[in-house]
Amino acid sequence: MRRFLFMGVIALCSLALLAVGGTYGANLYYATGHGTNCADCHEMADNVGVVHASRHRNAGCTDCHEASLATKLRHIRVHLTGSAPESIRLREADVQQMMGNCQKCHRQEYAGWHAGPHSATYSEIFANAAHNQKRRLMDDCFRCHGMYFDGAVRDVVQPQNTTGPWHLTRPKMADQATIPCQACHWIHREGSPETKPAERISVAGAAVHESVGFYDRREQMHFGAAMLTIPALYDGARVLKVSPDQRQALCYQCHAPRQPEAMSIAATNHWEPQAGSGDDRTPMGVHEGLSCLSCHNGHNESAQASCATCHPAMSHCGLQVEKMDTTFASKASQHNIHWVKCTDCHRHGVPQVKRSVMAAGQ
Amino acid sequence: MLNRREFMATSALAGAAVAAGCKAGSRTWYRFLSEHDVGSLTAICDQIIPADEFPSASQACVLTYIDLQLTRHYRRHQQAYLGGLEQANLLSRKEFGVELAAASPQQQFAIAQAVEKQNPRFFDLVRSHTMQGYYGSPRHGGNRDAVSWRMLGLDEPPVRGRAQYDFTAGRKP
Repeated sequence: MRRFLFMGVIALCSLALLAVGGTYGANLYYATGHGTNCADCHEMADNVGVVHASRHRNAGCTDCHEASLATKLRHIRVHLTGSAPESIRLREADVQQMMGNCQKCHRQEYAGWHAGPHSATYSEIFANAAHNQKRRLMDDCFRCHGMYFDGAVRDVVQPQNTTGPWHLTRPKMADQATIPCQACHWIHREGSPETKPAERISVAGAAVHESVGFYDRREQMHFGAAMLTIPALYDGARVLKVSPDQRQALCYQCHAPRQPEAMSIAATNHWEPQAGSGDDRTPMGVHEGLSCLSCHNGHNESAQASCATCHPAMSHCGLQVEKMDTTFASKASQHNIHWVKCTDCHRHGVPQVKRSVMAAGQ
Repeated sequence: MLNRREFMATSALAGAAVAAGCKAGSRTWYRFLSEHDVGSLTAICDQIIPADEFPSASQACVLTYIDLQLTRHYRRHQQAYLGGLEQANLLSRKEFGVELAAASPQQQFAIAQAVEKQNPRFFDLVRSHTMQGYYGSPRHGGNRDAVSWRMLGLDEPPVRGRAQYDFTAGRKP
């Protein structure tokens, strides 16, 4: 009996030693090869290859990716059984876990994202009574919210109707981000590590980082912002002037206009799509031609203090621009800051006295 | 039953065997094709879709697509590829005295034409798979960065507002 007990203890200790040694040993193995050792299992060779040309080339695999014993065992099982998927990609659990590692280096960006609307959680998006009463949830929601989720909307929230009350089917998802870092960042994408720019202000205009891209749930891959489309839009019958800033092509993937209703005037005359329709926020009126990024900060989306970039504190009308009757000053305003026009207030045209002041350049 | 010494020795041997197995063979980042096969196949694929202002077949990762699919849905074509590539190399050595991968583009074109006549089944297979890899979805391994879609002027992914289906349509009041 003692002999069996002794052998049992030895076996348990050996297993524990193997587990600990295997985990740390494998981490060391992966770290020393800078990824090439990971690529020994051919399935992930492509992913390792591209990261060596990416902005994150100086980071090791395990700096970003979770490498617990359970994960390693899963990789071994997949490798030995030949059940690797056609393209190696992150699961939502991986994405959620990685965000903590993103935060370690990109603290300011993470804090900005966390303070802004793009950090909305599953609970805030899918169990939002105000939204769900107006419109039924559908799988298309995942295109912009929860793009890494592997399932249908019925797997996230129940009931599927407009009466509610709604609850998440997996309560642990409640606080998880629906727009994680990897929604807009293509981590393995080619690019050079960030360096201090030679000039503080570039005269070449805003550059589109290669690593900024939209994760397309359908294709299960990122599309670089530089190759995304900026739509041609109409303001009524008029072709709208849209900023050519390619960075905002990323915004248009979700803040997109809708096609007009069939038989509508816009559809009949092919004035489509109309700016301001659907979730589109393309500037019209006094702000026509501006890029989203002219006012919005990339991570927290805040437009606070952006007016001063272009405006003097006082408008031509003698009003403080930040306190004029627009949604910038108050969300209750009737005048959306994105498409406010002079004629919204000056319904009979710009007053003569103001016009003469403007002409005099005062 | 194993005694303590045998248990430790077996564990050490098993670990060494696993490590040796993982490192066995030359390192290649392709799953099925050897480096030599890749060189030969690149020559043929790039004659089917050569580079112009847009990338060639190999530059668009068509080889990755073919290699990947030969371990999956196209496993049945493995022998056809190995045989066909061997035949192409044999032709190249016979005609020009060099391996197909080392031949000039003109010589590669001549070999591709000869393969098309002598082994139409293999050539059709390569042509078909090259087209699939170049024009298909990037998630299958080819069409790197959706280059062919941009060449065709496709907006991918399209800019489209959220779906506005009327779920109440057809429902009884």
